[in-house]
Amino acid sequence: MKDIIRVEELSKSFGEHQVLRKIDFSVNKGDVICILGSSGSGKSTLLRCINQLETQTYGKIYFNGKELGKKQREINEYRSKVGMVFQSFNLFNNKTVLENCMTGTRKVLHLSKEEARERAISHLKSVGMAPFINAYPAQLSGGQKQRVAIARGLCMNPEVLLFDEPTSALDPEMVGEVLNVMKTLAKTGLTMLIVTHEMGFARDVSSRVLFMDKGYIVEDAPPEKFFTDPDNARTREFLSRYMSDGERRA
Amino acid sequence: MTNTPNGILEWIWFIATEYSDLFITGTLITLLVSVVGTIIGFILGFVVGIVEDTKITKDSSLPKKIIMGFFKGLCKIYVEIFRDTPMIVQAMIVYFALRQAGAMITPIPAGILVTVLNTGAYMSETVRAGIKSIDAGQREGALALGMSPISAMVTIILPQAFKNIVPEMANMFLTNLKMTSVLNVIGVKELFLQAKTAGGTYYKYLESYLVIAIIYFVLCFLFSRIFLLIEKKMAGKKEYTLAVEYMDNNE
Repeated sequence: MKDIIRVEELSKSFGEHQVLRKIDFSVNKGDVICILGSSGSGKSTLLRCINQLETQTYGKIYFNGKELGKKQREINEYRSKVGMVFQSFNLFNNKTVLENCMTGTRKVLHLSKEEARERAISHLKSVGMAPFINAYPAQLSGGQKQRVAIARGLCMNPEVLLFDEPTSALDPEMVGEVLNVMKTLAKTGLTMLIVTHEMGFARDVSSRVLFMDKGYIVEDAPPEKFFTDPDNARTREFLSRYMSDGERRA
Repeated sequence: MTNTPNGILEWIWFIATEYSDLFITGTLITLLVSVVGTIIGFILGFVVGIVEDTKITKDSSLPKKIIMGFFKGLCKIYVEIFRDTPMIVQAMIVYFALRQAGAMITPIPAGILVTVLNTGAYMSETVRAGIKSIDAGQREGALALGMSPISAMVTIILPQAFKNIVPEMANMFLTNLKMTSVLNVIGVKELFLQAKTAGGTYYKYLESYLVIAIIYFVLCFLFSRIFLLIEKKMAGKKEYTLAVEYMDNNE
């Protein structure tokens, strides 16, 4: 299978603190990969390095087989093809929902106003937010904001969409609406890389599940194997804690 | 003179009408210097504030490091000097330095220049704080779409920062309107200098200064109301209209 993103020996330190330790993995076309792990395991940093919001201390990133350089222009172009959805939405507060979805296509892809608008509305429709085109982010609920953020990402027609804990900042009753949108997206064949704590979602939707611990990827398996018969002891411990937690909650 | 004015109120009225030309010219010059000085000063402040906010990283190229380092240093020195010395002294030094250097600069342009430099130094700090007040996520959201750092700054961060610093800009303008009075020391014929002249003939300084105090007060009062209106306008509408044409009938 053809890999879209390949990461080689990716390492990242913040001062003395090493967060990522020689990470190797690749994202193939059509993959829906969920990255699990406890807080501080490096999952978000990995995603931010892949998007170059953090610069790696060591290692390389390949995009469609070509090594990603350090030139700002090259990084801008790469980012326009690798979208990102953030935990805190990061919608532009000075722009309406429609403008949020048109900024990238206008400023980066240089689409005409009509084309950009048409594309924005079609993606806003797909996430159920088209009626809110005139609203400002501050006027929306968390779940609505995140759906707009997903539409904004989709407007760029990205080859991969990265999700950094997209439901962690949401009220429990809004988690479902965002996960549903993401489930639908997964079915369309969009390549997705998702950092999440939603185990059920990871089990049902992903094609591969990665487990990170202390800056390493310690498990990389299809969901069936991951949740029933993981190789790594640390993964088993994590899962058992989650399962007992789930029972307690139930 | 047939009717000598009686009492302070009559004298104020007398001075104000007798020397109305002086006061009108003074008002116009005060407005000219403060409005032009403040506007250009704001622009300078934005440029300096943005330069100061630019970060030099390890990955920056060597020429960029040198050039940016130079400009950052320059901005720092400029801001420190103008914030830590009185405007009246700045006015004297700038004016006489330019004259001695052979520049045939007249008081009004010199006065505007001093106002610009002073405003720029203060505004740069305000702009920097305004940029810092915008959540880092706004920038990341823009970068993640593939926008360049400059484009993110111009289309996303600055418009939001601008909104936050409008009250401070209004403050700065009102301060400037009053601070132009110190420019009388270099012979700018603004309100203060005109009051001095008007008060001289009849030795009615108190009355003359009361006239300009009223003018300053009215100007500042009017402008502060105008700024409040602008602020309100910029806050935007609280409500939005649902685009009913896109409502899903199935829901």
